[in-house]
Amino acid sequence: MLKRFFDGQKWLLCLLLVQSIAHAELTVEQIIEAANAASYYPGDDARAEARMKIVDAQGRKQMRQFMMLRQDVEEQGAQNFMVVFSRPADVKGTVLLVNKHIDKDDDRWLYLPGLDLVKRIAAGDKRTSFVGSHFFYEDVSGRLPSYDHHQLTGNDEQHYILRSEPKADQQVAFAHYVSKINKQTMLPDEVVYFNDKGKAYRKVEIVQTKNIDGFNTVTAAKVSDLISGAYTQIQFRHIKYNLEIPSTIFSERSLRNPPAKWLKR
Amino acid sequence: MKEKVIHFSLNHPKSIYWLMLLLTLGISAMIPMIQIDTDPENMLSSDQADRVFHNKVKHQFQLHDMIVVGAVNTQHEQGIFNVKSLAAIDELTKNIVAIDGVITADLMSLSTIDNIEQAGVGTVKFEWMMAQPPTTEEQALAIRQKVERLPLMMGTLVAEDNKATAIYVPIKDKNESYRISQDIQQHIDQLDSGDQYYMTGLPVAEDTFGFEMFVQMGISAPLAGAFIFALVWWFFRSFVMALAPMAVAMATVLMTMGLLIGSGFTVHIMSSMIAIFLMPIAVVDSVHIISEFADRFKPGADVRKVIAEVVGHLFTPMLYTSITSSVGFFSLMLTPIPPVQIFGAFVGLGILLAFAWTIVYVPAYISRMSDEQLIAMQKRLHGTQSGSRMHRILKATGLFATARAKPLLVIFTGVFAISVWGITHIQINDNPVRWFKSDHKIRVADQALNTHFSGTYDAFLTFSLRAEAKERWLTSMNNFVGSHTDLLNNPLFAEWLATTKEQKDSTIENVLPGLEDVLDGAPEHLQPALESLLELLEKESSEQRLFTQPEWLNYLAGLQLSLQNSGYVGKSNSVVDLVKTVNRELRDGSAQNFVVPERQAGVAQALLQFQSSHRPQDLWHLVTPDYSQGVVWLQLKSGDNQDMSQVMAHVDAYIAKHPLPDTIAMKWAGKTYINLIWQQQMVAGMADSLISAFVVVFIMMVVLFRSLIFGFLAMLPLSITITFIYGLIGWIGKDYDMPIAVLSALTLGLSVDFAIHFLERARSLYRQTQSFSATINAMFTEPATAITRNAIVIAIGFTPLLLAPLVPYITVGIFLATIMAVSALVTLVALPAVLTVFKSILAR
Repeated sequence: MLKRFFDGQKWLLCLLLVQSIAHAELTVEQIIEAANAASYYPGDDARAEARMKIVDAQGRKQMRQFMMLRQDVEEQGAQNFMVVFSRPADVKGTVLLVNKHIDKDDDRWLYLPGLDLVKRIAAGDKRTSFVGSHFFYEDVSGRLPSYDHHQLTGNDEQHYILRSEPKADQQVAFAHYVSKINKQTMLPDEVVYFNDKGKAYRKVEIVQTKNIDGFNTVTAAKVSDLISGAYTQIQFRHIKYNLEIPSTIFSERSLRNPPAKWLKR
Repeated sequence: MKEKVIHFSLNHPKSIYWLMLLLTLGISAMIPMIQIDTDPENMLSSDQADRVFHNKVKHQFQLHDMIVVGAVNTQHEQGIFNVKSLAAIDELTKNIVAIDGVITADLMSLSTIDNIEQAGVGTVKFEWMMAQPPTTEEQALAIRQKVERLPLMMGTLVAEDNKATAIYVPIKDKNESYRISQDIQQHIDQLDSGDQYYMTGLPVAEDTFGFEMFVQMGISAPLAGAFIFALVWWFFRSFVMALAPMAVAMATVLMTMGLLIGSGFTVHIMSSMIAIFLMPIAVVDSVHIISEFADRFKPGADVRKVIAEVVGHLFTPMLYTSITSSVGFFSLMLTPIPPVQIFGAFVGLGILLAFAWTIVYVPAYISRMSDEQLIAMQKRLHGTQSGSRMHRILKATGLFATARAKPLLVIFTGVFAISVWGITHIQINDNPVRWFKSDHKIRVADQALNTHFSGTYDAFLTFSLRAEAKERWLTSMNNFVGSHTDLLNNPLFAEWLATTKEQKDSTIENVLPGLEDVLDGAPEHLQPALESLLELLEKESSEQRLFTQPEWLNYLAGLQLSLQNSGYVGKSNSVVDLVKTVNRELRDGSAQNFVVPERQAGVAQALLQFQSSHRPQDLWHLVTPDYSQGVVWLQLKSGDNQDMSQVMAHVDAYIAKHPLPDTIAMKWAGKTYINLIWQQQMVAGMADSLISAFVVVFIMMVVLFRSLIFGFLAMLPLSITITFIYGLIGWIGKDYDMPIAVLSALTLGLSVDFAIHFLERARSLYRQTQSFSATINAMFTEPATAITRNAIVIAIGFTPLLLAPLVPYITVGIFLATIMAVSALVTLVALPAVLTVFKSILAR
């Protein structure tokens, strides 16, 4: 644990160093790495309560509320996620556990208290909806940078503009996506997905960022279906980093008895 | 008055020509603004309650207009599930997705649907059903086995017999369906899988219908004009003379259509028939004038004097016949069916217009014909065989009618009685798809797809939590706050409560996060009360989520099972099928777990898993996101109104036996249901319009003849005719459908014309001759000839409809021709027979 902590610090140091160098000198790879780190790897672990509002094209709303725990197994590498639902009331206690791997398929488990069932979800496509929202599983746990070819296509005062195309073996609905990486936070302020016809159809944007425990942290984000006008807003509250969550809780065994201690605000 | 009109006509022929030409050109200039309307839904007005609800359901459950593409393979032993066919489906799907105007997210094809299945012990798997087309026949068969486990797809996306699969293509705007279906057809033509492809769906049907309507208007109406022209030419043996009625007919048709289109009305199937209706009706008055003129004009006579005499003489009967005919059509405005109303209004208007033009134009025209032309016509007319042949036949008819008067009246009474009995056997039924001929590609596709799939006709049975039940939580919340008044001292809570009450459509789910924020910031002593309130509201929220409650889902399952067993529906789909499927796969995939989970939380969690698939939006075609409303989608193999009625009766019986909870309301929607509604409204509306037309025409007859008995006499032939025709429909079992319903009232107005002319002339002849036999003799010369000519003109005028590509036109053609012929015959036989038996009537 301690070692990992230092790894994290070292990484941060690197990041600061990188940021202090003239931005134009960053290579695409460096930008991607920094963005990936800033988006998915701040701290060694983290906890946040998420509130999600799913709004369809007719303006009808659905709510989801869940606590999310994250633990990095290695920097820019494997991670553990645990998502415990609290609302709507009838899905309360539903748990999703993900052991994310870089070199192999993720392990995913599910606990459904209403059916008294623990189930493993077979590896496969991660571009399925995250519990009915416009987010994909991949948006939550992070799309591996290695899946796509990236190209730096521009710069403005605040952003690096990247264009990414899926590698040939990737089965995805988009033809390419354009990300605007914030030069200060290295977070992707906006990612727009384009289809075969070059039409923008999906947008993921950061709505609010706060500095929490020294990390630039996304506290509100939004995904929009640009074709139907439907969208999902997510808000993160009660965010805490480096809680030193034991890795034992990210195991199949704790699905039926979620670790109350770590789930409290 | 009438003298003034006639004199004006005779004295200013050129002005009249110019006036008619300019008005016709001016008004018909609006015709190019034509807007075709082929939506059967428009048979109901846009604010009709069932239609409004149907569209609300369509919107709420995102039920888009769909083009249905069906692929059938009857050759391969694995049916459509073979490498080649599935590759074609995949290729076609990819091409269709790329077409503009297609709602990609809701497109359903083997290539775009999601599958949930077991992947080893304790593992569940979500994946595309056919991410890649299979490369081996085993893989192709495996896809078949996967689909088989998805009850929502079997029979809907894939045929139970393996031989067919479908692509459902939702489109944004149905006005684009022609372009989209052409694009799809092009892609289909490029496939070489050897499968049979069919394309149908309402938007395609409507487009084709609109096209056929243009064909009808472009071919049948001009053809009717040509037929009528030839007939009039033949009747009067004068090309020049035949031009007069044609000019009146053309002016009438063009002006009426110009006015209709210029007033902003769309041209619906009914109004597309205006031209062909007006064409023969518009020439009728002219035929009367020319007939009598030809009879009276002798060489050397003063044309202007003769024509003035003829028109003066015919003015009143022509005015009355025009008004009665237009009354028949105007009575259609009493039906609640907008296209029928517009049709009635404009044909009625056209008839009055035709009368006006006949009175001012025809005398002017005849007066300007040269003496040579008139004498030549005269010679040919009186020298021909056929003219006298018609006279001979009519004379024999008159003799027969008077000689056999009593037995004839007994026969007419008998026929009338049997007809009334036949009417009680009438089967009311319609189905817009049957408006296409049975060999039409739409009908062929319809038949092929309904053979392989569970049914292409939709009806939606909707269930929703009643408003009282939905608002109950507000009362619970107020009661709670009433007994915990200390909460109101907390400003955050007070604010939350105020906003909650203010928002009219606030749902529990939307206000809970705010309450939680209050809880976060509240002092310790208020926390227990706030926690209890949260709990209370969460409980209320669960109770509102009707479609996650196992008892309710099991009720629906029972209803669906009973519908399936009834045999009236091909298949029914609801969220129950989806919940059972997900539950089965989440457990162990075994058939015994194909059940609704025992607890509401179990249902909700199964649905949350479904929403974690590639197509979470599919859920919202079955329930609303607040789960307080849902539909059972019924697939029927037939769109006949009668079949829909049977389904509805079955549901009613089931609910009578298994009462719905008080808090739940049930309502129907769907195209098949809407068709049933307008059909019912049409039948009810037609009764009103028939009765009112009858009463108005009867009163007019009494006024015209200044005699109650003559009023009855005038109504007699048409009553016998209409009763006979509808009795016949009852006896031969032809469905009473849209065209047949519409015709009842309007034929009344048309067929009374014969009786008016007959009685008017008979009475004036009797006044002149004071002899019954002399009257009858004279009646069966020129007056009977004019009536017969008119009957033939109208009957023949409608026959081009027999060549029309759409069945309702054909029905109208046959039906009107028959009614005209029969009513002329009945007039010429029944009226003299009655007058013979009751001789004293004429003397009145």
